[in-house]
Amino acid sequence: MDFYLGLAQVIGIHTLLGLSAWCVLHTGQVSIAQGGFFAIGAYVAGMLTSMWGWPLGLALLTGAILSGVVAVAVGFPALRIKGLMLVVATTAFAEIVRLVFFNLTWRVQTPQGLVGPDGSLGFGGIRYFPGNGWTTLEVNFLIWFLVVVVMLFLGWLDRSRVGTLWRAVGEDELAAQSAGINLTAAKVSAFGVGGCIAGLAGGVFAHYATHIEHNNFGILLATFAIAYPIIGGLSSLAGTLLAVIFIQGFLLEGLRFLGDWRSLLFGALIVVVMLVRPSGFLRRSLGESFGRTRHA
Amino acid sequence: MLELQNLSRHFGGVKAVDQLELDVVQGEILGLIGPNGSGKSTTVNLITGVYQPTTGALRFKGQDIADLAPHQRTELGIARTFQNIRLFGHLTVWQNLWAARVVRERGWSGFRERWLSGAKAAREQAEELLVFGDLAHKRDHLAGNLAFGEQRRLELIRAAASGAELLLLDEPAAGMNAEEISDLDQRIRRLRDQGRTILLIEHHMELVMEVCDRVVVLNFGRKIAQGTPAQVQRDEAVRAAYLGADHHA
Repeated sequence: MDFYLGLAQVIGIHTLLGLSAWCVLHTGQVSIAQGGFFAIGAYVAGMLTSMWGWPLGLALLTGAILSGVVAVAVGFPALRIKGLMLVVATTAFAEIVRLVFFNLTWRVQTPQGLVGPDGSLGFGGIRYFPGNGWTTLEVNFLIWFLVVVVMLFLGWLDRSRVGTLWRAVGEDELAAQSAGINLTAAKVSAFGVGGCIAGLAGGVFAHYATHIEHNNFGILLATFAIAYPIIGGLSSLAGTLLAVIFIQGFLLEGLRFLGDWRSLLFGALIVVVMLVRPSGFLRRSLGESFGRTRHA
Repeated sequence: MLELQNLSRHFGGVKAVDQLELDVVQGEILGLIGPNGSGKSTTVNLITGVYQPTTGALRFKGQDIADLAPHQRTELGIARTFQNIRLFGHLTVWQNLWAARVVRERGWSGFRERWLSGAKAAREQAEELLVFGDLAHKRDHLAGNLAFGEQRRLELIRAAASGAELLLLDEPAAGMNAEEISDLDQRIRRLRDQGRTILLIEHHMELVMEVCDRVVVLNFGRKIAQGTPAQVQRDEAVRAAYLGADHHA
């Protein structure tokens, strides 16, 4: 049972991460920066609770907002470029963030002793959950509560005009700007919302893991982040969730006996989805057959 | 309404548009014609801001628009259609119109309208345009699944949905049959009668001669003639441009 509760936590956190990439992919941008925003949220929220004793909710919120602000700041210059160059630029950003935390040493005296990021040794002692006697089940409730809240929020956003604008920009930038849509505003807003959600996911991850280090936030994490919505399809939020369950639950855990060959399967899966079902597992038509028409 | 002064756009050695002078008068249907490669589409791209002019000035309602981004020009009141249809294929017909609605209001209500809800007035206008474009029964269909003629109509009403006063129609009749063209003819007139100004770029001469108040003829990026359709048809330079220099007797 513990195994499944632990797995459910991972799936929840990765769903949040996948949803953050979902926003950005909507506008047709491929960003490798989601891992960086995730890292910022993780370190900020972790530091706030463990070093200065902030309440968890406030720490998560601060981490999310800060990640969003950084995303907007990075978005303005980065989103002037697109395609492969954007991938390169966002990869560089994610690496900068990782290396900043690799070099960050800032420890303060707390009742539990010296706590804080300790350079390459990582940042341990984020003991909010065990310190306050949370059970794994309760942590699960928190994570999945956040997943539901974020999904409801994004579902509402997708039906509101901003979702339509994001999709329009993702479909055809030239037509979008000719129709009077401000490309920069649409892309940066998607980047900002995505950054917030990634930061939230990171904050939760830090407290779930209790020990984080720069290695947690490498390119592999960013690859996962964009793989979920690509495999699950952009037309529905449930697609991202299903993709996370499939990849984390089945591909990585269920096929553990295959060892490192699983990574190969993961790569192959992306290629197969691109070839066979370019719009993802769940296609738009499925959403519509359930009577989903998105004008309010 | 729209003034192009000494406007040029060169691509390397190619003078796609060369020292073009053009006035679009409010309320008219102005035809812009010329053989393939004469600079018609480049002109549209200059007016809408897809290209920057090499030299020259662009004024819309007295305001210099040369430095404005494409979406800002649409905000001011210039909208276009594309020669090769460019709809938001995975959005519904309704969403295509909804996305194109330009919100000019500032402040909180402007923010709400722009990003969240869209105002009631905008919805009503979009409904009217759906009827106008004969697409009301297809409102929840994906734009990409529409028939060719329907896609053209949707692109036309999407341009109108922005609230633009000047519509640039880039070969709206391309690929249409005679019936669809006469339909288009009626729609262009009605758009004008609703107070819009039309710049029609077209190869289909019958439509141009039928619907336009005035025609400007381009060849090799330069204006070679302008006048009423009848005047232009009689023009020697125009005949030479279309039929080739050999016939210029």
